[in-house]
This record gives sequence, C-alpha cells and structure tokens, in this order.
Amino acid sequence: MIRSHVLISGDPQSLTRGAEEVRLAIETELHYYGLDDEVQVAFLGHVDRTDVLPLVIVYPEGVRYGPVTPEDGAYIVQEHLYKGRIVEHLQAPPEVLSGPIAHLPGREGAVYAQKRVVLRRAGTIDPDSIEDYIEHDGYFALGKAITEMTPEQVLETVRASGLQGRGGAGFPTGLKWLFVTKTDEKERYIVCNADESEPGTFKDRLILEGDPHAILEGMALAGYAVGAQEGYIYIRGEYAQSCERLERAIHQAEEFGLLGDNIMDSGFSFHIHVHAGAGAYVCGEETALLESMEGKRGIPRIRPPYPTVSGFRNKPTVVNNVETLANVPPIILNGADWYRSIGTKECPGTKVYTILGDVNITGLVETPMGTTLREIIEIYGGGMKGNKQFKCAQTGGASGSIIPPALLDVPMDFRNMAQHGAALGSGALLISSEDTCIVDLAYVLLRFFKFESCGKCVPCRVGTTQMLEALDRLRRGYGTQVDLDRLEEIAEYASQASFCGLGQAAPVPIITGLRYFRKEFEAHARGECPAGVCPMGKHVGPAGEQAHP
Amino acid sequence: MSEIHLTINGKPVVAQSGQTILEAAKQADIDIPVLCHHPALANWGACRMCLVEVKGMRGLQTSCTCPATEGMEVETETEKVVAVRKFVLELLFSERNHYCMYCQMSGDCELQDLAYRYGLDHWTYPRPFEKMEVDASRKYFIMDPNRCILCSRCIRACSEIAANHTLGLRDRGARTMVVADLDVPFGESTCVECGTCLQVCPTGALIDAKSAYGGREKDVIHTQTTCMQCSVGCDLDVVTRYQRLLRVDGVWESEPSGGLLCVDGRFKPLYEKRQRVTGPLVRKDGKLVAAGWNEALGIVAEKLQSGSCQGLAYCATTDEALTAFARLFAKVDGAAGRIEPQVAPLGFGQVAKVQDVLDADVIIVTGAQPLEYQRVIGYFIHRAADQGAQVAVITDDENGLSARAAMTLTSAEAGKAVETAAGAGKVVVVYGTEIKPEVIAALKPLGDEAYILALDPARNAQGATAAGLQPQEPSDVDVLYFLLGEQSEDAALLAKVNGAFKIVQAAYHSPLVDQADVVLPTPIWVERTGHVTNLDGSAKPLHAALLMPENVRDEAEALAALADMIG
Repeated sequence: MIRSHVLISGDPQSLTRGAEEVRLAIETELHYYGLDDEVQVAFLGHVDRTDVLPLVIVYPEGVRYGPVTPEDGAYIVQEHLYKGRIVEHLQAPPEVLSGPIAHLPGREGAVYAQKRVVLRRAGTIDPDSIEDYIEHDGYFALGKAITEMTPEQVLETVRASGLQGRGGAGFPTGLKWLFVTKTDEKERYIVCNADESEPGTFKDRLILEGDPHAILEGMALAGYAVGAQEGYIYIRGEYAQSCERLERAIHQAEEFGLLGDNIMDSGFSFHIHVHAGAGAYVCGEETALLESMEGKRGIPRIRPPYPTVSGFRNKPTVVNNVETLANVPPIILNGADWYRSIGTKECPGTKVYTILGDVNITGLVETPMGTTLREIIEIYGGGMKGNKQFKCAQTGGASGSIIPPALLDVPMDFRNMAQHGAALGSGALLISSEDTCIVDLAYVLLRFFKFESCGKCVPCRVGTTQMLEALDRLRRGYGTQVDLDRLEEIAEYASQASFCGLGQAAPVPIITGLRYFRKEFEAHARGECPAGVCPMGKHVGPAGEQAHP
Repeated sequence: MSEIHLTINGKPVVAQSGQTILEAAKQADIDIPVLCHHPALANWGACRMCLVEVKGMRGLQTSCTCPATEGMEVETETEKVVAVRKFVLELLFSERNHYCMYCQMSGDCELQDLAYRYGLDHWTYPRPFEKMEVDASRKYFIMDPNRCILCSRCIRACSEIAANHTLGLRDRGARTMVVADLDVPFGESTCVECGTCLQVCPTGALIDAKSAYGGREKDVIHTQTTCMQCSVGCDLDVVTRYQRLLRVDGVWESEPSGGLLCVDGRFKPLYEKRQRVTGPLVRKDGKLVAAGWNEALGIVAEKLQSGSCQGLAYCATTDEALTAFARLFAKVDGAAGRIEPQVAPLGFGQVAKVQDVLDADVIIVTGAQPLEYQRVIGYFIHRAADQGAQVAVITDDENGLSARAAMTLTSAEAGKAVETAAGAGKVVVVYGTEIKPEVIAALKPLGDEAYILALDPARNAQGATAAGLQPQEPSDVDVLYFLLGEQSEDAALLAKVNGAFKIVQAAYHSPLVDQADVVLPTPIWVERTGHVTNLDGSAKPLHAALLMPENVRDEAEALAALADMIG
C-alpha cells in the first residue's frame, strides 16, 4: 500500500545539481526505515520553477522542499515520512507568483499567473510513466478521435481551433494538414520538428522531457487526420535526455497498444521513430531537416515543391513543431471553441516563452496569446534585475527583432507582432537592460549566424562574414561611417536575397537595431560605446574567433 | 505538357508548363545571368544571380527554380534586381582570391564576365580571406579552392552525371570547402577522372593541366568529332590552337553519352607517349628506312599479288578504311578478318541502345568490366542504380560494379538474376566476351522482352561487321598485312606472327612495326575524317581537328590506291 509519493525534479538542471544523489539518499533512507513499500519515489520532468532545484515534492501533503542536498533528503525521510513532521526550514520559499494578480499596468482585469495548456502536465507527472500520463487524461484525445471521430472531423476541429505553428512562422496547422490530404500520394509522413536550436529557447525540451507522451499523442492524431502511418521525431542531438525519454515513451505506448499496428482495434496504425540531429542550427529549417533525415547534408531544399507535397522521401509530409503538436490533444479533447476562448481572436491558444536576460526570474512561462511584454517582464520575470532601466528585448531567438520600450504594451501574438515589424518566433524573450550595448548584442548574434550558416547561398555565407567584420570594426573602435553604411547595405540585401529563412532573418537584429537605436551605432562609428561595453581600441583578436556566443 | 503564356520584360513569351522562368527566358533570347545553374545539372538556386522580380510575388525569385506560370509578369533587369546581383558579385569577390590577372580562366570566366556586366570596378568589401592550399595531386587536373565560389556544379556533375559521388562539401558557412571523399587529397580519392567537373566549373577552381594558359576561348578552334577509344563512340569537342591539341570536352545533349566522357576519351590521348610513324618505311638491308608512298605501295601491291596473303585489322579505324581493307583482300583473293574477339549474340532479346541503361529497372551485367573499359556504360549503370535500378552482377571473379550492385552472383546462381527481373519493368542485359555458356542458358528465360547490350571489345566493331570482317588468327601465308591504326598489337598477337612477309599499317611504333618489311603510316583519332559506327549502330562522323603529318595518308585512301594499283 503506497501512502506517499516523493517526486524529485529530474530535469537536466536538477541533475547537474545532484538530483541523482538526492534520490539515492532518499531511497537508502527509506529502505533503512523499512518504508520501501509505503513510499514511491519518482523523477519529475520539468518543474515550474528553476530557482530552488533540485526540488523534492512530497504528496499527498504537497509540500515542496528545495533546494535539497542528499543530507537534506535523508533528513526529510526521517522527519517527514517516518515521523510525520514537515521540515519547515527545508521548504522552498513560497512562490513569488500564485493566484490572481489584481493590478497590472495598462491592462484591465485579472490575469492568472500562467495559463497552462501545453505544459499542464509537465512537472506534475512522472514522464517515464505512461500510467501517470493516462491518469492525467493522456491518450483520451486519441481514443476519442479514433472511436468517435472521422479523420476529416479531427482535421476540421484543428482547423476550426485556429491553431498556428508554434515553431515561429505561425502558419495555420489545420491548413498544412489539409494540403497533405489533398495529394494523391498515399504514403505520407508526420515529422515532429524537435530540433530546437534557437539560442535561449528551451520550451520544446521541457515538453519533450516533462510530457513526452503528449507529443506522441499529438503526432498520432495528426497521422490519423492526414492518413499517415509513419511519424518521425527529429530531435536536436544535444537533447540526449529528451531522446531517451521519448524512446522509452514510444516503447511504453507500443506495449499499451496506443502506438503501432491497429491502434485500439480501429485498423489505424501509426509508428513513431526518433532521429537525432548532429548539431546544425539550419536543420531546424524544415527542408534542411528533411534532407538531414534522409542522411544527406543538412541544407535547405528548393521550394516549391513544399514538404506538404514532396517532403520526406519525396512524399507529402507534415512538419510540425513540438509545441504545436502538444496543443493538438487538448484541442481534440475540449473542442475548438474551448481553444478559441484562450488567447486573442486572430491567434487563439497559449504561447510558451522562455524568459532570459536581465530580469529577476528567468525561465519558462506559458501564457495566453496577447500577453504583453511588459506583463511578462513585470509579472513572470519579477521585474528588471537590479531595478535597471529596460532598454530592449529580442523576441523569437537569435534572428528575432529588437524591440524598443515603445512596443512593451503590444499584446503579443503572431499578427500583432508582424504588424509592428517584429516576430513572435519561437518564443524566446531576451530582456536587456540599459547596461547592454546594441552593437555588442548584434555582434554576438551575428557571430552565431556566421557559424551556423550552411554555406549554400552567397548572401548568407559571405554576407554574415562581412556583417560580422563590419560590426567587429565598430565595436573595436576602428569603424567609420563607411562600415555602418556597408553594414546596413549588406543587411538589407542579404535579407532579400538569401535562400532560406536563416539567411533572410540573420540580418533582422541589425535592421531592427538600426531602426530603433541608430544613434548608438553612429556613436560607435565615432569610437564611442555609450553603454561602455565594447572593447574600444583594444585588440581582441580577429572577428568570429569564438564559434558560439 | 501545355503551352503557357507569360511576359518577360514586357515581351510576350510562350513556354511549356513545367519550365522554369530561366528556361522560358532563354527560349525568348532573354539573358538572365547564372553562376550555380548549369543546363546539364539539377537546379540548385544558391548563387542568387538569377533573381528576378515577379509581379505579385513577395520578394525576389530565383528564375532557375521558379516555375513559369500562366500570365506571369517577370522583370529581369530592374534596378532592385541589378543592385542585388551586384551585391552578390561583390560578396563573391570578397570571399576568396579572385584576382583575375593571375588566373588562367581570365577572359573565359563566368564570374569575371558577370563582374564586367554589372560594372564591378573596385572591391567594395574587405577581403579577409585566407590562402588555401592548391591540390595538384591529380595527374590531369588541379583543384584551386582559392578560385572556388562554392556553386557546387562540380559536385552535382560528379554525382548526377558520373554517378561517382567523389566530390562533396566539408564544414559549413564561411568554412565550407569542396573536398574529395572524406577530405583526402584529390589524387588519393575515388575520382575516376572523367573530367566532367572541369567542364562545368564556371571559374578557375578546377584547372585542366594541359590546356591552362593555352589560349582563351577567342583564340581556340572547336571541332566536333567522335571518340574512337572504345565502341561507345561519345561525341567529342576537340579544342585546338595553332595545330596544338589543348583539351577535349564532352558535348552536352549528344548521343549516346550526353556529355559524359571518361579518362580514356578525355585525357589519355593527350598524354600519348608512343613514337609516331611519320612516313612510309621499307626494309632495306635488314633496316627500316624511309621511303616514298609510291615506292612503298608498289612493293605492297607486288607482294599481295605474288603469293598467298591474309589481312588482319584491329577495328580501330574508320568504316571507310575497314571497307576498303575488306575490298582489297577480296580483290587479291586473300582472307581478311579482325584481330579482336567478337561477342556472340545471345539468341534472345532485343537490341539495346546505350541510353536504355539509364531508365532500366533491372540491369544484369556479366562477362564484362564496364568500369575498366567502355567506362561510360559503367557510369550509366551507377546512375541507373542511384535512381533505383537493381543491378545484378554475374561473375566468378572480381568486378568493379559489385561494390554498388544490389547483388553479385556466381555463374551458378545466374538464375537469381532472372528471378529478380521477373515482373520488373525494363530489363537490360549488359554482357561482354567473357560471358559463360551456362549464364546464357540461365538468362534465356528473360525472353525477347529483355534489352541486350553487347559490349564488343573492338572500337569500331559495328564497322568491321558491316565490312564483313570476322575474327581470324594469323595463318600460314606468304604475306601478312596488319592494319593496326592507333592500336599497338598485344603480346599474344605478336607471338602468333610467323615468318611471312609483313606489311604493317600503324600510327605508332611497336615491336610488330619494327619487325615489318613495309610500314605505312596512319592518322590518329584527332586527324581522322570519315565515319565510325558505335554500339548503337549509328555511323558517326569524324572531323579532323589537326592536320595529318605531311607524309601520312588516311588508311582508306592508301588502301584504295593499292586496290587501284592492283587493278
């Protein structure tokens, strides 16, 4: 008879901070007190807070301890589980945010701390347990779809929900699926793009590691809707743990008959395979991803034909982002209207953001579409670090737009952001304070792109090199107006002339940086760095010496 | 295919559906510049030179990849397009060492041409390039990465045309480099020296060792002729200047090879080491001495009429010469035959053309080594295999094709190949002289549906057959007449030569020539006129790109003169 559950955060951050040792200490201690049969110990995937890792949660009391050392773990067993006394001094400090927040600048009404659709299970279930997933409504959507709905109805529900691709471009998911069903080819594929390589973005990883079955279920639903029997997860090679968890999850689902041949005796078969990438940013671009999956050099393909017509092995292929697919099961389960009740009219649903930079609390939040940047910083980010002035934010990863304070109150969704010349992208939010130098920021970003350009087309391959060269001269104080003009020219042309999204978007930080912070660039051309960050006049080695930022 | 109508630069253009904007423009004589595009290769879209503006489409489109559609309005030289092209060229010139003055391609370089066209009069961007090592480890050509613009034409040629997949790219971004295999020196790679990469390189990155600095395009003469190194008979574009042989190129869209050549056709003949026979020779006092044509032909005519004689020819010459040869010996009642063995017909199937290999579903290779000889056939088989054809090699020894074949079978297992072919679409059997009788028997069930490609080892086998020449051994006669042409005898033939009076008609000195009593010179491939009949049975013309040496006469002409003298 199990009377208590001990959940230990098992995300990579916790593991590096000794979560394994904590688990070992707790298990040893439980064994010592003869409690093995009464207390169950499990790892959690992602937990919703990152400030107190490793976190130990004891149910049914729901007490949270953290950060916990192995000694603390043993003590918790002794006191809490054996003697029944909560260890007050080891408890995690109460969450800064919980419950409704009454007053928010520039916005009426109450906003809940987070609205979790995609991440609702991450952190509350054991990602290695399919039973846990099923207990939390897992595979109900698949069951409902297969037994009660036709593939057309599933597709129609997703279309009606207004779900848009969460990988960055915001293309309507239902429409993409529809394109695939319109082809004559019967061999079709579902590909989950889990090559999350955008610097500072780790939303997909937390879904993959915290709730892997949700992806499998989403893919199976997509497969059912478009008539595909094979699914592939292209996962970033560095995500070893995600890979392991996914493979375990696939194995479990196959054992339960929820994946594989003839699922739930419906005649529908769906198999999922995991393919690990080899460390190239460009392979997040869907056609480069498909090339890589076919065992070729990861470079983008000519479009048209689009993957929906000729994708993996030249067959019609749906390529969806992890977060997109994780949205599918709740949509099928709760209906399109429910989904449309979240977020904005044009862009329903939630968005998972990774907050990083100069704020007090960095990490992951899921909020309804339409949340403003100011809300994110003030509420979820806990305000600017050291009460510094907000200077700019970069949304959507390394190739995202640089956003000035003037756009802090724009409700963020795909449409609104695009209207303001910015992009929501993958949901990374880099918050920078007044201590940041725009030129230095652009330099760091360009260094990344120079390193990650695949080299296929000239504007991206040589353009990133030349932009980096110009930025390097500017930040070292050797730049002149000529370098600035040149930089602007290359950025403009490269964004027009590049082959794929990588090259087209790489100059975006420069273009938007110049749009909002031109004076700062001009100061550099005169040999001054207003923020005092750049190594003016110092010799710091050739441009691009360091590969990664 | 249906007709579509579009306008390019305001001019109405008719194109076929499925064509790209570039193709449509080309038909209408509208020039859109390209660097990575090559008509013989798959579209790539990487250089961005061919960008055009299309009304109603967001941004600029690469005309080499964008399909032309009904009602499309295309502008190819707008201010924006020209600015972007110039930008791309400026970037390319900043990337590596494109200092034209010291490049052997200067004047014939596609990159340089475009720089002139778009008015690059100075370097706009800094040039932070590093010096890269030149790879001269191959005999016939040199790779200079400093001139490379990474258009990947060579890589596509290597994989799409030669199906050899030697060339590829290393690293990414600014560090990208064209490399052979896993970045080994070119000379140690799996390269088969077909030279197709040289022919498609738009700049001076791949340099032909022989013709470099030998003359610009405007200085040279191009002569189209047919390769005589084997029976495939590919079209050649022979480049000469001042009666000097510079280079041989393939001819795109020609039958049978479509522009693909092999080392035997493209490079080896340019490195000929054998000593040329430059005039008639007659043995006097035990020594071969120079003689006039009349004297030499007089002796030959007299000898041919004085006793029993036999004529043996290597089929390494023209249709005309082989016919004249057969006619001459008919006139003197001598036997005439060919020296090379002949492939026997299989007794079933229909005659295949070389190009049938390319769209085959199953290819059965037996008794032949097409990667060693008649190499283009071997490359074609690789190409078909890349596109999904099942290749079955039936051999009891080693065969180069085994490495990439779906199956390699012994003669005893030949039946398995027939099983594979059962139900498959197009079956092509490629065989040579080494085919075993039991294999023929095993393949028989393929029936007349199968396409049969017989790889006759003789260069002009079809011409010899048409002239009625069959394989013969040297017999015990008074006079032996050898028509060698360019092919020197092998040791086996030399051993069979008896004490008869020997007349040898050859282009090069060899032991047999040195034993001869009369030697008549012949032209070599590049000096020949006439015809040669290839594997496909088509009589292909030969055009002389170089003049024959003064004292050399064509075989056909000499043989006809002999026949006249005999009367």
